[in-house]
Amino acid sequence: MDKAASLVADLLAFIAMDDCTDDQFNQLALRLFAYQYECNAPFRSFCQRRGATLRNVRSWRDVPAVPIDAFKAMELRSEPPSPAERVFMTSGTTGRAARGRHFHPQLDVYDLSMKRYFARRFMQGLERMPMGILFPDEQAMPNSSLAHYLALACSEFGSAGSRYYLNSEGLDMPALCAALEESERSGQPFALLGASFSLVHVMDALRAQGRSFRLPAGSRVLDTGGYKGQSRELPLEEFYAELSQLLGVPRSLCINMYGMTELSTQFYDDGNAVLPSVKSGPHWIRSRLVEPITGRDVAAGERGILVHCDLANYNAVTTILTEDVGLWAGSQEKDGFLLLGRAEGAAAKGCSLAVEEFVKAAGA
Amino acid sequence: MSKQRKVQRIKAGYLPGLGDEEVQWQTLDFTSRDGRVLQVSVPVLTAPQMQALACRVRKAAAAHLRPMPVADIIDAVDRAMARLLDRNDIYRQQAEAWLPVVSGYDADMVRLGLTGFFKTFRAAQLKRFVAEDFANPAVLDGFQPAAKGGAVRAFGPDLLVHSWAGNVPALSLWSLVCGLLVKAPAIGKLASAEPLFAGWFARLLAEVHPPLADCLAVVWWRGAGGEEADALYAQADTVLAYGGNQTLDALRRRLPVTTRFLPHGHKLGFGLIDAQALDTLKAPAMARLAAWDVMRYDQQGCYSPHVFYVQRGAPVSARAFADYLAAELANLQRRFARRELDLEEGAALARWQQNMEWGGEAHQLLGPVDAPWSVAYSESLQPLAPTALYRTIAVVAVDRLDAVLPVVAAQRDYLQTAGIAAGPEELYRLAGLLGAAGVTRISAIGSMSMPEAGWHHDGRFNLLDLVRMTEIEQSAELAAQPLADYAD
Repeated sequence: MDKAASLVADLLAFIAMDDCTDDQFNQLALRLFAYQYECNAPFRSFCQRRGATLRNVRSWRDVPAVPIDAFKAMELRSEPPSPAERVFMTSGTTGRAARGRHFHPQLDVYDLSMKRYFARRFMQGLERMPMGILFPDEQAMPNSSLAHYLALACSEFGSAGSRYYLNSEGLDMPALCAALEESERSGQPFALLGASFSLVHVMDALRAQGRSFRLPAGSRVLDTGGYKGQSRELPLEEFYAELSQLLGVPRSLCINMYGMTELSTQFYDDGNAVLPSVKSGPHWIRSRLVEPITGRDVAAGERGILVHCDLANYNAVTTILTEDVGLWAGSQEKDGFLLLGRAEGAAAKGCSLAVEEFVKAAGA
Repeated sequence: MSKQRKVQRIKAGYLPGLGDEEVQWQTLDFTSRDGRVLQVSVPVLTAPQMQALACRVRKAAAAHLRPMPVADIIDAVDRAMARLLDRNDIYRQQAEAWLPVVSGYDADMVRLGLTGFFKTFRAAQLKRFVAEDFANPAVLDGFQPAAKGGAVRAFGPDLLVHSWAGNVPALSLWSLVCGLLVKAPAIGKLASAEPLFAGWFARLLAEVHPPLADCLAVVWWRGAGGEEADALYAQADTVLAYGGNQTLDALRRRLPVTTRFLPHGHKLGFGLIDAQALDTLKAPAMARLAAWDVMRYDQQGCYSPHVFYVQRGAPVSARAFADYLAAELANLQRRFARRELDLEEGAALARWQQNMEWGGEAHQLLGPVDAPWSVAYSESLQPLAPTALYRTIAVVAVDRLDAVLPVVAAQRDYLQTAGIAAGPEELYRLAGLLGAAGVTRISAIGSMSMPEAGWHHDGRFNLLDLVRMTEIEQSAELAAQPLADYAD
């Protein structure tokens, strides 16, 4: 068995475990670091610039965090390209031209990571349930990790009749309303999953029609990804209040998934009754909150930029530096973090032109 | 034992005719590097109060400012400046104590910056400033004979409204003095990031020349303001505003077409360094001067450099110059520490560094990534683009400085200051090309962030733009003769 295959096998076994110790996490993180340092040339030169070597990286916390912009500039991969590989790309809606790319030689690890944790955090013990997906399918968006994620949710956890309510013509409201009515009538709980902005479109359509539903107990909603300029921007409080009111789903079952194209693992909250909600991930991903310039951990109680070390990211890099601001939710890291939005709005303090204004003007 | 943290409170603004208890106050909180807390109370006026204030300053200016000869106004400003330059004066002391706290800049940097800045507003400099725009400054005091015949007089705005922005300490002094020199009653809106200096200046001016006490007012509102801002803008006949283009555009849309609007948007400075300046003796000194321009107010001035284009082929290479510059920035950090950055600013800075780091072989980021300064060196010509500021500077190697012209011209809307280090002939040749591209100010490296007295901010006539000329044509003069008492 070659190095990659044995790593993948061990990873699959690791993800299949119920939990892990700090030691176990560290060991696998360091093994992945050594593998990526050896096989991923752009990552190795990044490490060299940061003075990180196989010798002085002793814990997952020492692994240099690669900024997500690097996924745009470089091919971060440990295995050579293959015809069978899947490439997930960032949406490129943030105003910057290039799209980040995440190469997956095969999706076994990604899929197991998704299924294991989705089952726990969203299905919460149910094996299958009727699902409605508000997102294009994988054929329409083969490079979208979210399209793949939702396809997996639908095929692995959706019961018969689960389907997409978004097609090339847009939102199929009549069919969606019929499905929601059917759930109300039969008492069979329903799950509605999709991009946050698609849910806004559904909410707008329901409002326009003056309709609302009281879905049966156990029904749930999953939203992800924010609005991305594709719908009106509404504050989270309004979003969940309206969502809960229009569908009759308690806010504790309106679950938000926090994921990134650059990762292979997702974070979830336990509903959004209280905002901002606490996000947490499974045992194969760990996070840090850092000061952006020095990369050092922030002091307790301080906001920081999120760094994720995702062991399921075996081909690219395990450890990425996001542009998201977080705050530890409890006294221990495993209690999860509050996601406080993107680190934006560094407007000029003086009269010198700031990057932000320049980019906006160039994009206008 | 918990140490009681002392909170200092300052009332900002200047509201002639309005008692403190008549207006609402809002508090802006600032914390210094050593943990001192400053609470600045800023006034929140109603629309009718704004209107009343406008009437009051107008009336006072008609009685006291308009009849004042320019020479006397210069004298009053000069006396105010003398006090601001006196380290024992209470105004100077509070400026030194609190401007570093609100702006976050290093206290020594602010102290040096203020002295350098105030020096350019002494009587001699102000006279030069007036002479720059008016061949005969007496036109500001009365009708003066015009060369073509007849007579001409300059009148300042009926009401000048300033809208200040940003945290560059005492920036408001510029436009305040311009308004005074053309005898305009003025109301200024404080910047939330530096809400102190303008009010102090108005108070100080009233102390040195009490008749001016009611000719200026200093107000505040949050963000773009609401009804109260509309009420003030409706009264203004000239609005002078600082800020980003988006803010300026929104402001312009609020003004009647008849209101004169003088915007000063954010700018993108750069420097050109000729091979002549890069021998082994001159290059280190040049790098030191360049570092000062980067350090002053952490690059927040409109004149601050973002990029130095450095010519190849000199005894000291462009890359070596970048190393010198990095070393000088490291030195300056010890004397004048960079402002503490908040998380968002730090993230933006890190993102800029990352773009340089991952930008391919052409870019190199010099020095440690966590240093409080950053030099990005590029081997190939790069577009003129803003850096992350806070002492992040790009050095770009070019074969010939002329190669820079197209990338400079592409940012015409943002051009203002270019620093040049080159021989006299080359200076004039490059200045011609840069001026055509849109640059309005050329200075020495090291003086980029210290504009001289009487400079033409953004290439405009700072005083002439404020006035309207009233002409008595020759025909009126001639036609008056037969109507005189003494006419035959």
